[in-house]
Amino acid sequence: MSIKEFITSIPVNKVGIKDILKFEKSPTNLLVAALTLLFLAFFVIGVGIYLVHGHHAYGVTRQHPWGLLIAVYIFFVVSSTGLCIVGSLGDVFGFKDYEMISKRAIFGSIVTILGGFAVIAFEIGHPVRMLIYNILSPGMRSAIWWMGTLYGIYLTFMIIEFIFLLKHDMKNARIFGLIGLLVGLAAHSNLGGVFGFLNSRTISNGVFYPTYFILTAFITGIYIAFIMMGFRYKLRFPDNAKVMLTNLALIQALLLAILMFFETWKMLTGIYGGMPGRADVAEHILTTWPFWAEVIFGMLIPFLVALLTKGKNHVMMFWASLIGMVGIFFMRYDLVHDTQLKPLQMMKTREYMLPPEWVHYFPSSTEMMISLGGLGIVVLLYYVGTKVFNLDADAH
Amino acid sequence: MARYGMALDYKNCINCKACEVACKEENGVLLGADKHRIWVGVKEVEGQWPNLDIVSNTFVPSQCQHCEDAPCQEVCPTHATYYDENHVVRVNSDKCILCSYCMNACPYDARYVDDRTMTVDKCTFCSDTRLARGETTTACQNTCPTKVRTFGDLDDPESEISILLKTRDHFSLKSHLGTNPKLFYLT
Repeated sequence: MSIKEFITSIPVNKVGIKDILKFEKSPTNLLVAALTLLFLAFFVIGVGIYLVHGHHAYGVTRQHPWGLLIAVYIFFVVSSTGLCIVGSLGDVFGFKDYEMISKRAIFGSIVTILGGFAVIAFEIGHPVRMLIYNILSPGMRSAIWWMGTLYGIYLTFMIIEFIFLLKHDMKNARIFGLIGLLVGLAAHSNLGGVFGFLNSRTISNGVFYPTYFILTAFITGIYIAFIMMGFRYKLRFPDNAKVMLTNLALIQALLLAILMFFETWKMLTGIYGGMPGRADVAEHILTTWPFWAEVIFGMLIPFLVALLTKGKNHVMMFWASLIGMVGIFFMRYDLVHDTQLKPLQMMKTREYMLPPEWVHYFPSSTEMMISLGGLGIVVLLYYVGTKVFNLDADAH
Repeated sequence: MARYGMALDYKNCINCKACEVACKEENGVLLGADKHRIWVGVKEVEGQWPNLDIVSNTFVPSQCQHCEDAPCQEVCPTHATYYDENHVVRVNSDKCILCSYCMNACPYDARYVDDRTMTVDKCTFCSDTRLARGETTTACQNTCPTKVRTFGDLDDPESEISILLKTRDHFSLKSHLGTNPKLFYLT
């Protein structure tokens, strides 16, 4: 089969602009549509401001060079890896109950990573130069190099896997899905390594983040699985979806319990012994509201809902997952901000009688607009995908 | 080929900031970019009048430590940060993608964004200017009225800096991180 034949044989729905604009005009749908358009407009405005003013349009500083856009990039790529894990349960590992979400989750993993790339393109000062010198002059000891390169390969494999899923070629989908999953996990743990390798930032340095990233990716993937299925079936789930969602909710409860256990020990080992630069930062984190937003929204509420309903109340799990994603956003923001909390140049902090203080950062409106724009891009691409492709499981 | 380093007799520093001015003038650092390439850390007098702890008041001049094992060089995804033939940690602005990873990885906060090139910049030991012209001193060293700084080749046993490091006790900043700085503070 020639490449042309292969491409033309991919099953797609022939849709025009009119078909894309056609949807049930329910209040929820209209609200989502309006927000998506608003976010896309934000993206255009934010990018316009960035192109004129560069990084000066952002709240980042010399002491806090990574800001909201890095956090949002991580948010999207974590979502992508998580959806890849959820999608792989059915088509790679062969668990029949999860096959109904495979195609949807793999497509979700593609659009979320594209959203992440769209955001990071306006955080990296010279993205085109990055593409050139990543190849011509690779820094093989850099976690960013491995992360970026592996994510590029991962995206390629995800697209190939998705095409085979569309063509219902399960054998090839399994092969490319497995390779894509392994590359995705490697890429994602390298993203944790970007922080874990920072010897100068003792609060982040170590094995925690490379492993925690995989765990939180799985958790994020399950949250998004609930959200996608909730919108797909308008919260009136068919029986086969109920079986899958109950299982996912129980897995989620277990994963959240492990995450809370990990986090507790991270804070305990951080504070214990009073090591300067780590203990003081850990104690400070406990006094900040985004940390508690992360814990309450991202972990506690969904955990309690899954546990108390034994995973059987799928509508409540849908809402808990939406709340969970808000918590996941704070989780990413905290990860980036907390890493940079401690001023490194200790001598300077004592100038002019100023006591040692924490590095301050608050995102600018431009950063917020580009970040929301990333969300708009993801929702738009996903919506178009639901029209162009058949994302439901094929009948056997 | 040399292995350049700098010894700082920091207790002689009077915080006149002539080094900061000379560095800006020599290397074309933008006005307003204060304490970017080099700076003087100030520890104020402790205690309350009349019981002032006068010896607590110190000035600590600092800059890029030109580490032998520089974290900023390790984390650079495009090799924009490199060691030149004189073991000076430099930045090739043509390759810098401004990912800012080096700014986060440097334990000494010695890197900053140059607004003209929108790339990360740092102290170069005047490699582009004075050393390129064949001189063997840096601007900060040359201008210092109390001779705080001694710059030279650490591989040359007869150099002033080598003799100083053999005869004077000294320490490095954050040496526990294993970065092996080539800035030495004389005690």
